[in-house]
Amino acid sequence: MTVYYGCHIPEDLYYHPRYDSWVRFEDNDVATLGMTDIAQTQAGKLIHVRFKRVGRTIKAGKFAATIESGKWIGPFVMPFDAEIIVTNEERFRQDILIANKDPYGEGWMVRARVLDPEGARRELITGEEAVRFYQKKIEENEIRCFRCAE
Amino acid sequence: MNKMRVLDVGLVSPLRSQAIYHGVAYAMTPETPDTIILVGPTDPYVCIGYHQELEKEVDMDYCRAQNLPVYRREVGGGAVYLDRGQVFTQWIFQRDRLPATLEKRFALYIQPLVETYRSLGIDATLRPINDVHVRGKKIGGTGAAQIGDADVVVGSLMFDFNFELMAQVLKVPSEKMRDKIYQSLQEYMTTMTRELGETPDYDRVKRIYLDHCAQALGAELELAEPTPQELAVTAEVEERLGSDEWLHQKGGLRQSDAVKIHADVYLGEGVHKAPGGLIRATARVREDRIDDLTLSGDFTMIPAFAVGALEQALRGVKLEEEAIAPKVAEFYRALSVQSPGVAVEDWVSAVMGVEGQM
Repeated sequence: MTVYYGCHIPEDLYYHPRYDSWVRFEDNDVATLGMTDIAQTQAGKLIHVRFKRVGRTIKAGKFAATIESGKWIGPFVMPFDAEIIVTNEERFRQDILIANKDPYGEGWMVRARVLDPEGARRELITGEEAVRFYQKKIEENEIRCFRCAE
Repeated sequence: MNKMRVLDVGLVSPLRSQAIYHGVAYAMTPETPDTIILVGPTDPYVCIGYHQELEKEVDMDYCRAQNLPVYRREVGGGAVYLDRGQVFTQWIFQRDRLPATLEKRFALYIQPLVETYRSLGIDATLRPINDVHVRGKKIGGTGAAQIGDADVVVGSLMFDFNFELMAQVLKVPSEKMRDKIYQSLQEYMTTMTRELGETPDYDRVKRIYLDHCAQALGAELELAEPTPQELAVTAEVEERLGSDEWLHQKGGLRQSDAVKIHADVYLGEGVHKAPGGLIRATARVREDRIDDLTLSGDFTMIPAFAVGALEQALRGVKLEEEAIAPKVAEFYRALSVQSPGVAVEDWVSAVMGVEGQM
């Protein structure tokens, strides 16, 4: 795991550079997705999340959830065509700050069936390439990551 | 020099005053210039935040009786009453053109607003992260969003504001709470008209604002008209924003029930059922301390003036159990207060109910 200016960048995950989301392929066509440490830091403390319904197929670039912090609102974008199998709504209902505390763990957003697993991976970066990409982004934008403690 | 576009749309229908920036954002292509929209509504209306639940936030009976339309925007925040007293300043930028951190993004957006007010002789400053204050009072709010492929920041030039109607349109648990909202808006918000004693000329203020935008952004601003494509998308957005389905959609997973007046000031209401009666604590909290408190309900307290005295005693106290409990206990001892079926911990529970909303 690389930590750069407080921002955690696990090398084993896949990332979509434009949408700032991470992807973990659970098996060939099932993936778990969430906000990166940078994304949760940039949004700030979440106050609302609204998920699309389970069973919905989301086109690449369309949103699977909307996220609102005290200062910003934006989409949680599905980086590839996929059907939502389950959302983490229950965990967010218990603790709306869960992605601000544990973005790569308990704060995951949705689990989805990827319609074209091979094509999906082509849009994503991982490992050293991801670390280099985020280090550059962190430097250029003077980003410092923070987690909510409680 | 970098070129940006200004769409000075003037007065349009309430629906269009919201739909226009969504439309320009959704119609954005890589060729679209970064855009500043200036727009105001011909008539008053109420606008709610993206994740709010209409029936919980807005007094719909009142709005219907007053013929006030209600629209949901795709930007966060709370319900707000809007009218000709505000000129909305909406920035629709290509993604990654504005600073990546929200703190810097808001600082850039707010700079020309602050400078405009200062040019008029109003002592405005940025209150990070996203408020503009004049000596502790807020002069308009701001919000940021990603809409389609665009980064959007919205706010307003606050010529005037109807504090009374703002307090009227909100759905509140009690009229006491409504009174407090009204008082707090009066105390903690201001406008150009209040600061200057008269309403400044709209066109002059808009010119000053655009000059300051050009300086802050290091850009040349060009007046333009929305493209046919942008108008077509705006019309589509109007259809959606005007639909019952969109307006009545369920809220998100919300955390806060408190009413935010500005960055440091919140209003909340705690209700506690004690054996001796119901206690309702309506409080204004400023920088984590009780700024103002009203206690009501069907409890009995002797002597009669003790309720007011307890409200006074808790002003300035930190909103935490460890600070409130000793104050209430001391108050009981000092005034030999009797309150059958209502003990120290019941007051603490009622007041701490306010904290639970924040």
